[in-house]
Amino acid sequence: MRGVSSLKYILAALVLLYPISGFGDVYVLHVAVLVMVYTVLAMGLNIVPGFCGLLDLGYVGFYGIGAYTAGLLTMHYDMSFWLIVPLAAANGALWGVLLGAPTLRLTGDYFAIVTFGFSELVVLVLTNEIWLTRGPLGLPGIAPISLDASWLSHLINPGWNWKYTFGGETPYYYLGLIMVLFIYLLMRRMEDSRLGRAWLAIREDPLAASSTGVNLLTYKVIAFAISAGIGALAGAFYARWSLFLSPDMFKFWESFLVLCMVVLGGLGNINGALLGAVILISLGEVLRVILPKLGLPAETRFLAYGLIMVLIMRYKPSGFFTQVSESTMKNKMIIELREKLAARRAG
Amino acid sequence: MDALLRIDGVGKRFGGLMALSDVSFDVVRGKILGLIGPNGAGKTTMFNCVAGIYKPTEGEILFSGQGAPRRVNGLKPEKMTALGVARTFQNIRLFSSLTVLDNVRIGRHCRTKANFFGAVLRTKAQKSEERRIIDESMEFLDFVGLGEKALQPANSLAYGAQRRLEIARAMATEPRLLLLDEPAAGMNPRETEDLVNLIHAIIERDVTVVLIEHDMKLVMRICENLVVLDHGVKIAEGAPEEIKTNPLVIEAYLGKGAANA
Repeated sequence: MRGVSSLKYILAALVLLYPISGFGDVYVLHVAVLVMVYTVLAMGLNIVPGFCGLLDLGYVGFYGIGAYTAGLLTMHYDMSFWLIVPLAAANGALWGVLLGAPTLRLTGDYFAIVTFGFSELVVLVLTNEIWLTRGPLGLPGIAPISLDASWLSHLINPGWNWKYTFGGETPYYYLGLIMVLFIYLLMRRMEDSRLGRAWLAIREDPLAASSTGVNLLTYKVIAFAISAGIGALAGAFYARWSLFLSPDMFKFWESFLVLCMVVLGGLGNINGALLGAVILISLGEVLRVILPKLGLPAETRFLAYGLIMVLIMRYKPSGFFTQVSESTMKNKMIIELREKLAARRAG
Repeated sequence: MDALLRIDGVGKRFGGLMALSDVSFDVVRGKILGLIGPNGAGKTTMFNCVAGIYKPTEGEILFSGQGAPRRVNGLKPEKMTALGVARTFQNIRLFSSLTVLDNVRIGRHCRTKANFFGAVLRTKAQKSEERRIIDESMEFLDFVGLGEKALQPANSLAYGAQRRLEIARAMATEPRLLLLDEPAAGMNPRETEDLVNLIHAIIERDVTVVLIEHDMKLVMRICENLVVLDHGVKIAEGAPEEIKTNPLVIEAYLGKGAANA
């Protein structure tokens, strides 16, 4: 155990110091930030198929809604990123409720089809509502994130101007890390609570859950809204990082990719979602370099994703981490209980 | 007679099949009622109507768990649980990849109220509620004798223990009425003996028990009243001694002519 935890610290230190170590490579940093975006998406999606057991094929729709909300608010109102994040997340959650409340009565495949249709609708709206989204031209020239404390510095000394605008990958790397940590903590706290237990009960057995007093529809809608909010948050970050948005960034296969991450890592396991995102995004980048050297078009990498899914389904159908509700076991109250039980057995 | 539950002319139709028709009986507070009958008689359908899983096609279900009788036809299962009706299932339905403790903690769901914000912010109220949930859940687990196994996965339990865990989960919702669907099925004599003691302990907690059971020895021993269903119709009702000699009941179980044989 000791070895594992010290390894964790070393890894954390490496991750923290990498960009400022002097070895920091712009391309690697770029991929790392992309991994972080997908990590957040995978953790957010995990709530619906992982915790509640509902197949959601339209997750990218909420990602797109968040990204366009952020992009448009930035371009038209020059709004600060810090204000946009909660607005985009709330907008995502709102659409989650609007889609979820009427459709979450459906189960299994029917629900999956509805969500799939929703994500296609989002792409169609983004492509065709040109007055709002500029259609296939996309939204270029979104301003990068900035930390603006000029109002404070002006108060102290009119000559000062405390304003920092994000440039390059390094600041996004650190902000991305904060975002991942924040969502990770959020997920763990939700998992180990009355809310998380209700979700897991629905996943395990909906009939038994409702007979035990869990209102299925309410808890499914809550799950869907939170999941959508997290997706939209990732979208807002993505918009202000890539500085360009276009409708084809939010095509169906993105949903599929995120779903693959969740399944690969282990449905319902938070660490699994992290691992799945790291593996699939890094693999995609590696293949993007290797495949052209073999004389294959870079798009063949999607075949590799398919192959991985087939192999996972064949040899490890429940993913790398199968344990659900891990954080519960690390709760102080449960650790106390474990000690009490051990004492009881001994005494 | 103080009826906790009154079934009044209840019928349930599935397409062309009358699974229940015009069934009436009372469940008296504090008396164990046995619901018996051959396979396919409509016993579990009756449970599902009472527990809110099915909506009866006709008739009234009146429940007086909270004082005055209240019409509860067609209320959702979670609403029925909140009103004080808990149940177990014929084929065990546990949350099997969760721990034994979590199964019972989910049973506390309808008696607690922390929400998303409590969970995320870990407020004082949320923390003390979580502690209370653990303590109460442990009490229910100790009540059925599974306290020591609290942190094991539910699917690692032996069959009899899984049945008892289902009862603990149902008891954790603080019911006034507990519906047990074949609680002794597949149990060995020793486990059945424990079950009898457990049911008596449940009654002592002022929870009324209705059970569906095929083990006639068990039924005759612990039930104070019996209702017999056959093909969705109530064919007899009364004390176990009367039921045992009722020709209609014998005919339902053994076929025509058996009563005179």
